Amino acid sequence: MKKILLALMLAAGTASAEDVLHLYNWNNYIAPETVKNFEKSCKCRVVQDYYGAMEEMLAKLAAGAKGYDVVIPTGFAIPPMVKQNLLQPLDKAKLPNAKNENPAFMNAAFDQGNKYSLPYAFSTTLVGYNDKKIKELGIDPTSWAIIFDPAVLAKIKGKVTVLDDSREVFAAALMYNGFSANSTNPDEWKKAQETIIKAKPFWAAFNGQSYIKELTLGNIWVAHGYSSDMFQANIDAKAAKRAFGVAYGLQKEGNTLSVDNMVVLKTAPRPDLAAKFIDFMLDGKNAAELTNMIGTGTPNAAAAQFVKPEMKQNSAVFPSAEQMKKLQQLTALEGKQLRDLGRLWTQVKTAK
Amino acid sequence: MHSKQSKWLWAAALFVYAFLYLPLIIVVVYSFNDSKLNAEWVGFTFKWYEILFNDAQMLTAARNTLLIGLVTSICATVLGTLAGLAMHKYKLRLLPLLVLTPIAIPEILMGVSLLIFFVMLNMTLGLVSVTLAHIAFCIGFVAIVVRSRLQGMDESLVEAARDLGATPVQAFRLVTMPLIMPGIIAGALMAFTLSIDDFVITFFTAGAGASTLPLQIYSMIRIAVTPEVNAISTLLMILTLCLILLASKLAPSALRAE
Repeated sequence: MKKILLALMLAAGTASAEDVLHLYNWNNYIAPETVKNFEKSCKCRVVQDYYGAMEEMLAKLAAGAKGYDVVIPTGFAIPPMVKQNLLQPLDKAKLPNAKNENPAFMNAAFDQGNKYSLPYAFSTTLVGYNDKKIKELGIDPTSWAIIFDPAVLAKIKGKVTVLDDSREVFAAALMYNGFSANSTNPDEWKKAQETIIKAKPFWAAFNGQSYIKELTLGNIWVAHGYSSDMFQANIDAKAAKRAFGVAYGLQKEGNTLSVDNMVVLKTAPRPDLAAKFIDFMLDGKNAAELTNMIGTGTPNAAAAQFVKPEMKQNSAVFPSAEQMKKLQQLTALEGKQLRDLGRLWTQVKTAK
Repeated sequence: MHSKQSKWLWAAALFVYAFLYLPLIIVVVYSFNDSKLNAEWVGFTFKWYEILFNDAQMLTAARNTLLIGLVTSICATVLGTLAGLAMHKYKLRLLPLLVLTPIAIPEILMGVSLLIFFVMLNMTLGLVSVTLAHIAFCIGFVAIVVRSRLQGMDESLVEAARDLGATPVQAFRLVTMPLIMPGIIAGALMAFTLSIDDFVITFFTAGAGASTLPLQIYSMIRIAVTPEVNAISTLLMILTLCLILLASKLAPSALRAE
């Protein structure tokens, strides 16, 4: 027993002696070939650990977990990390490839001047749909009306799901009504709530988990969800040789945007490798590999030439400058606003 | 006599078993399905197992899981058995409370508090911290099983051995230990299974590069349950089944209610 424990400790000891970069990320959020290429170029090993939710990662780091170099948090998670003194400022001199970033994604409210973070990838929240059915029914998928307007919904009753996420559903309803996705005006919230309650009887479910599968099977025709999931659903539908595809694009009233960013922890064992890794990921070719693999949008302007042609035309991957103006990142809500939204959401959920 | 009542009981039992086992059977069946979707049968394939055995991350996680499970079950069994003996022999108030509390408190509390504790000790999180955490929460389970086994034991047997000149150690080794062996084995198996499928405590105490299968699977299902997850689940089920069979061979009474 002692021997085994000793062996365990030795194994743990030797692992830290070689050059290892510890990446703390979502699962499947970097292309395997990118990892291999980086390992070759830095003559080191990349060890990945995964989290299933941003809150998990925050809780773990806040409690003092150490040993990770680079983490990929979503924008809203960065201010609390800065506040808790978890991040170290980026040394821009070591990141020449930062010039590849699309300026539209830089200088975001959560990290003015990109002191701590550089954008990695983004996804938009939009509507994915069964291209054959929606065309047959003559429905316009480029407006949020497809999930909110009872006149449109009457044709697709019971074939629509929306995310089980109060913030995202309210943001969509706010934009549909012409308000800001980040509005905290009680009257505007009330209006959005009315829109949602009117549309709800036509929806099959609030679904944030299995809509990829439901779309692919043809059980539902319209889903409110994330762009990278719609990309996956379309690939699955093709693989299953369905008679339809899953199409998606931005809504004309605007969409919400979530940007994931690369940050270096203050306690990073190898800040040198961390900088090398971030610069490597900012190379257009490497950034494009992720987009090609899972269909996320890329904030990297130099990636365009390496992205598969059919994806380059997709507004959810490369929004035009005009569409970009309509994309909004959700800001963190304060205590009372959160409680108010919670109350409005409960009313939505219980409404008949 | 087959009364109407017993037919109903049979039907109820069948329903319960179907509810428990059908989902497991579906997972096994779909691990051989030649489609990325868990929804319809396309054709038979072994490719998910091939993918699994070429997935370095998954294999490292599997190795970590088994290593942690093994060390945990050995350490927790020794310590838990000692605790069970002490609780049975001496009528202590504090010990049961101390040993059994980790069973009762919410896992998330235990995970976070252990993490803070390890950080305070300035310990690098990794396999060692996960193993220590697992031993900590498994001791209580082993102790309970061993104690209940001891309570069912005839105390006069030990006294008889002592009367015949056995030293306390001999009496323990030759009489008590064989009698409580089923309990010890059951406790060890319980510790092993608890260790291999714990998620919450493991999540908080695992450091960089010390992922286990539950952590790996959980991070994978965010995108959708892939057949690779079905394949690894099937293998875990087979492992568990083998352990239960082994237990029934080694200690037939450990699995029987007494």
